[in-house]
Amino acid sequence: MRAFLFDPYRLGFMSRARVEVVLLGTLGAVVGVHVALRRLAFVTDAVQHTVFPGIAIAYAVGWPLLPGAAAAAALTVGLLVMLTSGHRQFFRGAPPGPRVDFDSALAVIIASFFAVGVVVVSRRTGYAADLSTLLFGRILDVSRAEVVETAVIGGLCLVVLALLHKELVLLALDRTQAAAVGLPVRLLDAVLYAVTAATVVVAVRAIGTVLVVAFVVTPAATGRLLTKSIPGAMAAAAGVAAVLGWIGLSASYEASLNHDVRLAAGATVVIAYTLGFAAAGAARLLFRRA
Amino acid sequence: MKTSAEPAAAPALRLDALGVAYGRRSVLAGVTGEVAPGGSLALIGPNGAGKSTLIKAILGLVDAMTGRIEVLGTTPARARGRVAYVPQADTLDSEFPVTVAQVVLMGRYRRIGWVRRPGRADRAVADEALERVGLGGRAGDRFGVLSGGQRQRVLLARALAQQPELLLLDEPFNGVDSTTTDVLLDVLAEQRKEGVAVVMATHDLSIAHLACDTGCLLNHHQVAFAPIAEALTPELLGVTYGRSAVVLAGDSTIVTTT
Repeated sequence: MRAFLFDPYRLGFMSRARVEVVLLGTLGAVVGVHVALRRLAFVTDAVQHTVFPGIAIAYAVGWPLLPGAAAAAALTVGLLVMLTSGHRQFFRGAPPGPRVDFDSALAVIIASFFAVGVVVVSRRTGYAADLSTLLFGRILDVSRAEVVETAVIGGLCLVVLALLHKELVLLALDRTQAAAVGLPVRLLDAVLYAVTAATVVVAVRAIGTVLVVAFVVTPAATGRLLTKSIPGAMAAAAGVAAVLGWIGLSASYEASLNHDVRLAAGATVVIAYTLGFAAAGAARLLFRRA
Repeated sequence: MKTSAEPAAAPALRLDALGVAYGRRSVLAGVTGEVAPGGSLALIGPNGAGKSTLIKAILGLVDAMTGRIEVLGTTPARARGRVAYVPQADTLDSEFPVTVAQVVLMGRYRRIGWVRRPGRADRAVADEALERVGLGGRAGDRFGVLSGGQRQRVLLARALAQQPELLLLDEPFNGVDSTTTDVLLDVLAEQRKEGVAVVMATHDLSIAHLACDTGCLLNHHQVAFAPIAEALTPELLGVTYGRSAVVLAGDSTIVTTT
């Protein structure tokens, strides 16, 4: 057990991967509780796809990936704020006649951004390898500088969420009351979208655009199953994400090295999260029965 | 702005030919009347008649398209800190992981301000408000496990914790138990004695009679704005609800066939 949990991390790349997974898991867990309270999974869904062209273009011209992803995410957040405010009744002066519903508009944005990404990537040689890096990440290949970036951006996100905690919770419970007491509800929406987008952006490099949603959704859902309060859910989710992320990485290393079964590290972590979620659900059912 | 020597003389609410529209669709027109401090106004009309829109206009969440609206002697946006709003309890997510005490404490958030956390004085005001609605013993329970009537009382306590000068309620008596009805009537009467004005949307004419001194009949436009006994006449109610859709039993119950 000791060997399983600690030995792999004597290697530099495994040690960096562990720090990155624990950081991203903790960040995703806390952000994820807010996302669940507000039912904002669509923001995660949108940004995880729309950062793809940003990353692809940055990759193609040889720039660092983070600014490319951030630019695409910022554009997405802007579009989402426009769409969701138009979606609600606060939108005045709209022309009469048929409108495009929110889900369709969102789907158009996601698909078009993704298509641009594929076009950019497919013009390069080594297309398949590049594509799989972007889709599934390269957790075992993160640099020290990237880990530091994750810590700084993630830390900023957590500070923003902590400072705005009571306002964000009020907004999630009762939007009309929040507006009635004078909170800037659209601005708070935009801040929460931006924090969610930033989480996806820092996570996408390590985990890839396909699996990143699990970091925001799964530990948060597990935390909510295990606790009754919002801070409790955040703490439980962060703990679950950190521990299962660590175990998942160890499992992928163990399987690849000693059992000759190649388990992709990022995907193994996501599977560990999922098993944790299932266990929490089962535990709750048993408690209810007893 | 206001130079009067007696600021208390400003009406809690003054509406002057108020009209509201969403886009090009007019939802409310020609609403005119006043509510004095300590007064109470019942907004009466069928579903979709503009009662909730009028409440939103008083809260400053929708703008006047035509006419004027003055709240506590100023604009709705400037009056926000002195106005409290009680929504219908079933519009809130009952799965939301907050306790009853936390919901009531939310009534203090504007006074607490950004970043700061609730202090002892805020908790004392919230506790007192919760006691006032008869739920002092449920502070630690999750909001969603309470009955509909109890949740309605928690939201009333949240509004009391705001210590408002104008209290707005959207159908507070809809589907609640008799204990809750009694507590609501009691608290509203007490608040009015302290000079708090009350505006509430309601379907229940007997409640309107009991709780309010003025009635405003609405069906997109104002049918009447008058002392409650003069407003709740069969003729005016017939105009408000549409002749075919209304049956009056006695003088206080309205039954719509829709």
